Amino acid sequence: MTHPGQTILALYAGEDLGWFRRLRTERHLASCSACRAEVATFSAAREELAGMSDLPAIPWSRLAAEMKANIRLGLAAGECVRPPQSLAAFAWLSGGRGFAAFASVAALLVAGLYLQRPAPPPAPLAARQDAVLRATANGIELNQGGQTLSLLHVRAGDVTYSAGAQGSIRARYVDSDTGNVTINNVYVQ
Amino acid sequence: MEAVISALMNDAVDPGLDLLERQNRFVSEHLRRIFVQIYRIVGNVADAQDLTQEALIKALQRQEQLKDERKAAHWLSRIATNTAIDFLRRSGRVAYCELEAAPESHDESPEEILLRSEQHDYLEDGLRLLTARERAALMMRDVEGLPAEEVALRLGCSKATVRSHIANARIKFRRYIEKRKA
Repeated sequence: MTHPGQTILALYAGEDLGWFRRLRTERHLASCSACRAEVATFSAAREELAGMSDLPAIPWSRLAAEMKANIRLGLAAGECVRPPQSLAAFAWLSGGRGFAAFASVAALLVAGLYLQRPAPPPAPLAARQDAVLRATANGIELNQGGQTLSLLHVRAGDVTYSAGAQGSIRARYVDSDTGNVTINNVYVQ
Repeated sequence: MEAVISALMNDAVDPGLDLLERQNRFVSEHLRRIFVQIYRIVGNVADAQDLTQEALIKALQRQEQLKDERKAAHWLSRIATNTAIDFLRRSGRVAYCELEAAPESHDESPEEILLRSEQHDYLEDGLRLLTARERAALMMRDVEGLPAEEVALRLGCSKATVRSHIANARIKFRRYIEKRKA
């Protein structure tokens, strides 16, 4: 014989089973004294628990008055700490006003982004029209906008210059102290 | 009751009635029911008093959450149940203390009060073995006699879950009684 589990018997004792499961359990209980005893203990426990339904003898009027006063106090305290502006304060933004406000904010954002856009980088120095590259007695010299940059050839006895078709000057010389050959190429871009 | 909550939800329903007056009426109508409901879950008057206040303040502060007036009673009961269950979880157990007001009762002799107190302690010890939700489900079903559907609504769970809580609670409580009597 298969006995119902404790869960089934506990639910049966409180009439908490569905009709089909209850029917099956009743059929089993009719022929099983052990399970009937189990159900009886569950029922006895429920009856003991029913004693908890008695409310304590309390002075209800005094208790109720205290609670009401405390509730009022709690609500008042809640009002004090509530944020000053509730969402209801923005109710006037509904409909066309809301759209107009949204459009204004969007326009403001676009204008701000346009004004704050990064400035274009300055044109490369060598790309300007007035840049002049030339060979001098001391080295290679670049003149631009009234400013001059010189690449001096120190300790150079005999310097050979050659100009490139794409805007470059090449200087080749032998160092008088070390005998090393130095080649400088300066490009204008 | 539903009319009161409805009025609280919308000032336009009863423009002549002051908000404070409506809140007072709402509290008066529900106070005892909510107190009893919470008392049966937490098992002592002092905590039930605090939690009843807490539940009603929460309800009055969140009245805009109530969309369906017909569910007002369940809504308030659920707030009360959750408040009591949260308390049980926070505190770990129910700290039962005998009613300080009990001696004021003139209907019972000191012996009867003592006997009732001992019986209450005995049952409370058994209920402490249950989880907060098991205890709440058991009290609502076996003490208040609410149907499982109502318990499910108050606990905010399915009927099957309520059955599981109730079965577990009855098994634990029965074992406790058998052990004490052995």
